[in-house]
Parts: sequence; structure tokens; C-alpha cells
Amino acid sequence: MFARTCVPVICAVVIPAFELRAALRLRPGLHGVPAALAPRPGKEPLVGAVTPAAEQQGVRPGMRLGEALAMCPRLELVEQDPAGAQQAWDEILRRLEDSGFAVEPVELGTVYFDSGGVERLYGGLEPALKRALAAAGPLWEPRAGAAERRFAALAAATVARPGQALIVSNDRSRSFLAPLPLTLLPLERSRYEDLEELGVKTLGQLARLPEGSVAERLGPDGRHAWGLARGERDGGVAPRTPVQPLRETLEFPEAVANELTLRRAVAALLDRLLARPERAGRPPRKLALWARLVGGASWRRTVTLREPTADPARLRAALAAKLGELPAPALKLRLELVELAEQTGEQLELVAVEGKVLEERLREGLRQVRAAVGAGAVSMVVEVAPWSRIPEARALLVPRDD
Amino acid sequence: MVAHPGSARAAGAARRLNAPRPALVEGHADGGPRRVNRQDVVVVREEWRVVDRWWTEEPVARRYFDCVLETGENVVVYRDDESARWFAQRA
Repeated sequence: MFARTCVPVICAVVIPAFELRAALRLRPGLHGVPAALAPRPGKEPLVGAVTPAAEQQGVRPGMRLGEALAMCPRLELVEQDPAGAQQAWDEILRRLEDSGFAVEPVELGTVYFDSGGVERLYGGLEPALKRALAAAGPLWEPRAGAAERRFAALAAATVARPGQALIVSNDRSRSFLAPLPLTLLPLERSRYEDLEELGVKTLGQLARLPEGSVAERLGPDGRHAWGLARGERDGGVAPRTPVQPLRETLEFPEAVANELTLRRAVAALLDRLLARPERAGRPPRKLALWARLVGGASWRRTVTLREPTADPARLRAALAAKLGELPAPALKLRLELVELAEQTGEQLELVAVEGKVLEERLREGLRQVRAAVGAGAVSMVVEVAPWSRIPEARALLVPRDD
Repeated sequence: MVAHPGSARAAGAARRLNAPRPALVEGHADGGPRRVNRQDVVVVREEWRVVDRWWTEEPVARRYFDCVLETGENVVVYRDDESARWFAQRA
């Protein structure tokens, strides 16, 4: 679109409404009809991303479910598939990394990378962007943008057509951003409304406002957004360390809801994962438990350990707590080692702690238990009548919330 | 403090340790347990009575049985004479 500078630039690849697209893979017939991502169970009844057909009917992402159905009675609600979406996104990131892009994913459907290195690899910025779009997969209709600033790259990718790569040179950055809507800015919904009430509807209009007035009226977030709208420097790309997640899957012959069976399945998966040579003795720091449920929905929970450990008993205990949250019988169970610690050993203490240090550690441990489980989680056994012939009269459990 | 077994407990308040839990018990004609929680009783190792607090408004009158079930599990149950109900409890 614009003349290319020789400076390495920041590139963004965007797949709009990624979670909806991921969920629609299970129901491809809904692509052309008004459909929206259903609210998450137990959350505020707001619809998620919507299909173009739903948007034509006036349904907007974030709209209240009742309002959306009143606006479009034929609206199809698509059940969320968080595990499927995460898996699809991980696959896209891996394909990008396999193509040589050092990616920084920021959310599902949005990823940044630096053009330095890949430009030489692919013979220029535009071929590199085309390669990135191909790696993401044309079925996802990705769009790419490149600019010297992160925000400008993201804006370019957002306004690009499916499969298009839009390059914005630095000297044209402000004029490119000026006509774009405020909704591109990372602001709360109420802030957009504040600005629209003031007659500010585009990035250019915001950029023309005096800095002091914006900061006074909208606070630090508003000042930050003002800087973005003016094309100010907003940081580089911090690529992630490429990960090769270790995972094991177990498919049940029929749906399983029995917690004991599920626990045994998790134990078997854990044993298989811990025996994998790729782990190289490193203890897991973060694990993910995934299930395909009866009816086609998916479920995923992550467990981050306070201290990395490869002790099967501790890992089983941490994972078992999550199994209780399974909302329906499972057809398939998958366990994934998302993150491994770098060290393979544990630094032990030369001298055993005692006295005040030990007491302080105990208090800290109790504080963490209370923080995790809530008030009343820590109790003390107080003997009141140890001589009693009535067993339950001998001792009391007294909550300790001090 | 001996509250009636099965009474509701207040959140955040002190709780009894080793509180009795309701048990499903089928008895013999002599009053001893034949099946506990759908498991046959193989042997009754010990039997004793606890009669206490008869001078209060909450008297305790229980007949305890230390049983071994067909699964090998060891369980202690008692019949509460006041309510005519069975409970399990670690004695």
C-alpha cells in the first residue's frame, strides 16, 4: 500500500472472531447464517463474536443475549469450545514458528512478530507476510499488517481483507490511523461512549485533542490510547520460547462420569507423560487437562504448580481437584505438560529450619491455604474432654482465621 | 456439647471432630447388625454400651458394634436408642 522503509518492522497477523471460527468448525453449516458465540456458563449473558450475517441483522459482539435475540430471532447460539480454540491456536503458532517466525501471541487470534531475519529468509517483507498468512492457514481467513509501531501494525491487520497483507510506512502512519474507528484502541466500552459523547469518533480526532485534557478526562488509559492514536512508540516484540507441549490422550469406549474412573485415567496419562524422554528429567510447572464432553462440547482447565514437581502423588492431587469441575461425562481425556521447569534438581537446605523461621513459614503456608480455599479452611483440633465416653465430645475443630 | 447427630452446623463455627454419620444398617433379631451399608457383616469383634448424660435433657444411650465387613473393612456402628437410628463412627 505504501512505500517500504528498510528498517525492520513489527508485523501482526489477526484472525477476527477466532473463538467463533474455532467453534464453527464443529458446525460448519452455520457459517452463512446469523450466529453468535453463546455466553460462557455462569457468566454475564453477553453474546461473543458474531457471524457477518448476524452483524447485518444488527447483532454486535458484547450485546446482551436478550437484546440480540430480540434484534434477530433466528440467531443461532454456538456453544463455546475453549479447548478446541486453544488447540487450534497452538497449532497455528507452531506452524508460524516452523516457518521461522518468532511469535508473540497476545490473545487467541492475534500474534506479533518482528520482520528482522524473516525478510532475508523470504526475500522481502511482503513475501514474508504472505508466508505468514499461508502458515496460519487460508481457511482461517487471516489478515496481516506491518508497521514500525505495534498498534499501527495491529490496525493495519484489522482493516485488511482476508488473506491481504497491509504495510504502513512510518511517515504515513498517522494519516493511515486518522480515519480508523476508536474501537481499535484498548479501552473499556464506557470510555468509547465518553469519547463519542464528546464528538470524538476516529483516531485522528482523538490524536488532535490536547494531551492534558485527555489525561484529565480519561486518566492514564486515555493518555495511553491518545499516544497510540498519534503513532507513538509502543514497545517491541517479545517472542515466546517455542514450546513443544507433551501430551497424552485417552479415549473412552463410552462416556465416563465416574470420578474414580476419571482419576485413574488421569493417573495413567500422568504416568505416560512423566515417562516421556523429551521431558529430560525436568519437573512440570504447568499442566492442562482437556476433555471432549458428551454432546461435542469441550472443557479445559490449567493447573499451575506453586513449585515444579515430578512427584506423581502431588500431581495427581492437583489434577484431581479439577476433575470435580467437569460439567458432563467425558468421551476423551487429554493431559498436557504446558510448561516445564528448567532445573532438574531441587536445592535443599543444609540446616533444618526451626524456631521463628519455621513458625513464619507455617503461617505463610496457612495464609496461602486460606487465600486459596477461603475463610474457615484452616482449623485447629482442641481437646475438650479427652476422657469422655462419647467419641464426638472429646475434641472440637476450631477455625483459625488469625 | 453433644448435639443431636445430623444437626446442621453453622459456617465458621467450631465443629465436632469425629461426628457420627448416618449408616444404612440391617439388624438381626437380637439387635446386632447383619449388613452395614449393603455389605454383609462377617464378624462383630466387640460390642459395648454407652449410657451417659441421663440426668440432662439430651441423654445419650447407644449400643456400639465393632464389625468386620465382607470386604475386610473395619467399621464401628451404633444404634441410638433415643432416635432408633443407626450411625457410623470411629470409636
